[in-house]
Amino acid sequence: MENDSIVFHGTLQQLLEKVETGEMIPKLQASHAPMCKFFTAYYVISGIRHVVPLVHGPTGCPLYMSDFVRTRECCEIRGVPLEPTACTTLDESNIIYGGEGKLLEAVKEAYAKYHPDLIVILSCCCSGIIGDDVESIAREAEKLVGCRVLALRSEGFGGDFRSGYEDAFKLIMELMDPPEKMMKGTINILGARWGPSPTEFNWDMDEIERLLSEIGIKINAIIAGGCTVEQIRHAREVELNASWCYDWGQKLGDLMQERFGIPYSRTGQPYGLAATTEWLLGVATPLGMKEKALDVIERETLEVEPDLAYLRQALSGKTAIIEISEFPGPIRALSLARMAAEFGARPVVINVHPYTIKERMPSIKFLLETGVNPEIILTKGLFRLGSFRSSKETEDELEAIVKGYDNPIFFGNSGRFPPCPVVNLTLMNPTFQPQYGFKGIKNIATLVRQALENKNLPRSRLFKGMLYGTRTR
Amino acid sequence: MEQGHDKEAAGAAPPFPDKCTDPYLRCAFNGAAQTALGVSGSALLAHSPQGCDYLVNNAFASQECDYMETVTLCTKLCVNEIVHGGEDILARTILEAKDLPISALFVISACGPEIVGDDIVAVCETLQPEVKFRLVPVPCAGFRGSQYDGIDISLDTILKRLVKNSDEKIPDSVCLIAPHANANPTWTADLEWVQQVLKRLGIRVVATLTHRTPLSDIENVASAETSLLLSHDAGQKAADYLSAAYGIEQICKGIPLPIGMTNTQRWLTVLGERFDAQKTAEGMVAEGEKMVMATCRRKWPMARFLYRTPAAIVADATIGIPLVRFVTEEMEMTPELVALYTSSRPVRELLERELKDLGLSPKVVYGTDVYKTRMSLREVKPKVIFGSTIERHASEGLPVAYVVEVVRIMRQFRMINREYFGYTGILNLFECVQNEWTMGWRSKEKRYEAKW
Repeated sequence: MENDSIVFHGTLQQLLEKVETGEMIPKLQASHAPMCKFFTAYYVISGIRHVVPLVHGPTGCPLYMSDFVRTRECCEIRGVPLEPTACTTLDESNIIYGGEGKLLEAVKEAYAKYHPDLIVILSCCCSGIIGDDVESIAREAEKLVGCRVLALRSEGFGGDFRSGYEDAFKLIMELMDPPEKMMKGTINILGARWGPSPTEFNWDMDEIERLLSEIGIKINAIIAGGCTVEQIRHAREVELNASWCYDWGQKLGDLMQERFGIPYSRTGQPYGLAATTEWLLGVATPLGMKEKALDVIERETLEVEPDLAYLRQALSGKTAIIEISEFPGPIRALSLARMAAEFGARPVVINVHPYTIKERMPSIKFLLETGVNPEIILTKGLFRLGSFRSSKETEDELEAIVKGYDNPIFFGNSGRFPPCPVVNLTLMNPTFQPQYGFKGIKNIATLVRQALENKNLPRSRLFKGMLYGTRTR
Repeated sequence: MEQGHDKEAAGAAPPFPDKCTDPYLRCAFNGAAQTALGVSGSALLAHSPQGCDYLVNNAFASQECDYMETVTLCTKLCVNEIVHGGEDILARTILEAKDLPISALFVISACGPEIVGDDIVAVCETLQPEVKFRLVPVPCAGFRGSQYDGIDISLDTILKRLVKNSDEKIPDSVCLIAPHANANPTWTADLEWVQQVLKRLGIRVVATLTHRTPLSDIENVASAETSLLLSHDAGQKAADYLSAAYGIEQICKGIPLPIGMTNTQRWLTVLGERFDAQKTAEGMVAEGEKMVMATCRRKWPMARFLYRTPAAIVADATIGIPLVRFVTEEMEMTPELVALYTSSRPVRELLERELKDLGLSPKVVYGTDVYKTRMSLREVKPKVIFGSTIERHASEGLPVAYVVEVVRIMRQFRMINREYFGYTGILNLFECVQNEWTMGWRSKEKRYEAKW
């Protein structure tokens, strides 16, 4: 394809090689700023019920979590109670003289105020640089209060967003007691985050729980998506660990396998029939419940057969241009690519940021091993100064790329305006959720049908003007 | 003077400061970003790890910036820059931005680079000849204080670096200060109301510090005759500086902002007297009050029978202090708890004057956090709370009938900005009360199913 805005066009394998050699990493310092290590660590820890995440830092660090994650995402959207986001409020004096004494007092005060099941001290840039020994304070404080006190070195500068998740999951392992018994037919779901609720997108998790329950598989804990300290303590008593997304569970799953010998089911996101089947068998087979799982899969497949037939008919011979721009991680895009291929389309993934490829290297390699190696296109707009979200450049580039393909269909969200049918897979519209599992197949079929049957209806000048301005290139 | 339920009610400091808080306010870095982003035709470079960029995003939204016009950048500092210093990466990032079509680039440093000693001022001075726009370094680490301290620090830098001296004063002119230090989520409507009032009184606004303010306006600040502070939480230092450096007189000092009939009348009257426009001001008061009453008569809101119902106000001082009179006079409720995010001396003095004048003795909590708010609500047991979405959740399990969300609202989205200042502001507040009252009547569960 000839297009001067394309900076990479090849396979996932080829992109990975370029990322590994540093050839495809953005050079602009000011381009693309995902969350820092502190944020992501905080996301995971606040997914434990009745925890006090005690931020050892100034008041700016906890407030994104406090306002948006706790109050809006958790209390408003997910209906969970308001729980504390506590802070030692470090000031200039603490920076000069150290904040360890204040931290010890803060732990005691947090326990007295909130009566939590767990206190986790989270260090941030300030406390990390001045060298406050948060681990020693945690050990000391634990003797003085009636709950476990753990410390997590989560300075924002101390690693990428990925390391925050992983270090937090590692820390959670310290809460896991040696097993007293084995919970037969029971698993943990690993890799959840974002507040005291089950995963970011409840609907997908609900579908997984429904299918597991049909098979007769129980869940001990969703770590850390609204689980209790008690559930974590018993986490080693399960037969198997799994994740609704291989990537998010991968680190904790591997660690629990290495350290405790608990197997981890390595499967991708359950988009489409093949991946859903693989996911369910990946869990049921090691538990000796394969036959039951096959029964459930057969029954459920029968129920969605008209949707599967429609998807095969609708997508066969089409080029599926896939872009995930609202939460711009590559895993979902790759899962969708696999699903598109399953239904007979040629998947082309556009603008997965090389930064996110770098951060998810183990998972990308796993997906490549399983045969997921779609065509990838990266455009110049991705590497422009400033944020790449909603940028005019990437929209123009997408529109130009789509024109270069025969029979294209766009899998992304309706914030894009390519000259082809748009399958609105946004996670911001709860109307057609979940997208996982058998219910997901039904919903995706509906979305594809909407895209194809309504392709000639006018798009919103209002939304396009809002997102990209009224000027043309 | 001892007031209310306990010693804390008198505004006395607790025996020792809290070591563990659940704060409402953001850090100084956020306040500085909010102020810088109010300068139009500029860009902001956060010299920070990438997480602090989220505080910039929040400031960006608060100032209602347009991402097609305003670029925000970040140096994304990592361990390497913390160990070896981040000045090189700052210089590189400034040069990356050198082709941006802007008049100023504000460089704001966060906690990390300040502790390790990055000299952002020196970097900016060195690179100034290489870029076409003004480089404005604002050292404002989060640990320097709250978002209000950040607003003061940033205003101080802006005034000292950008204002040009002027011996000539523009007659009947004013400089507006800190309109953005206001917890009304659509505070720009408050600012707009002030601008309209000033225009009608024949007063010229030389500059607004800051909201969509061109650099040229800031350069002319010294020519203003007066300053008008639009916040009780931040900006007083800027007003003091303008007075000391340029002889700019601060007006409407020490009176609550214009929320509610009496506060608005008092505020307009002071303005009218200062600018010799008493008749116009009196006309505006008469016309405004008539409009409010006529509108209420026509719309007939029912939430007017909360006579002496115990109420709590949990807010910033900018909204919270004027609300005390609005709740007491207009709504005829009785404030029994006033919890303010800030605790500065002027805030305490202003609130205490208001309480004395109104003959109220509520429990008062200065510098409240979520924990103190919850405990105070539990103690006072108000039936109505004027506050935020946080209080809706923090009051769960308590016998609170209505939470009127007026600040930091997350439950509802406002596409159209709505002021609390002035006469339409009274209607907007009344509407909040009415809608909450209506929601309170809704059936929690159906007793039986319909047949069809």
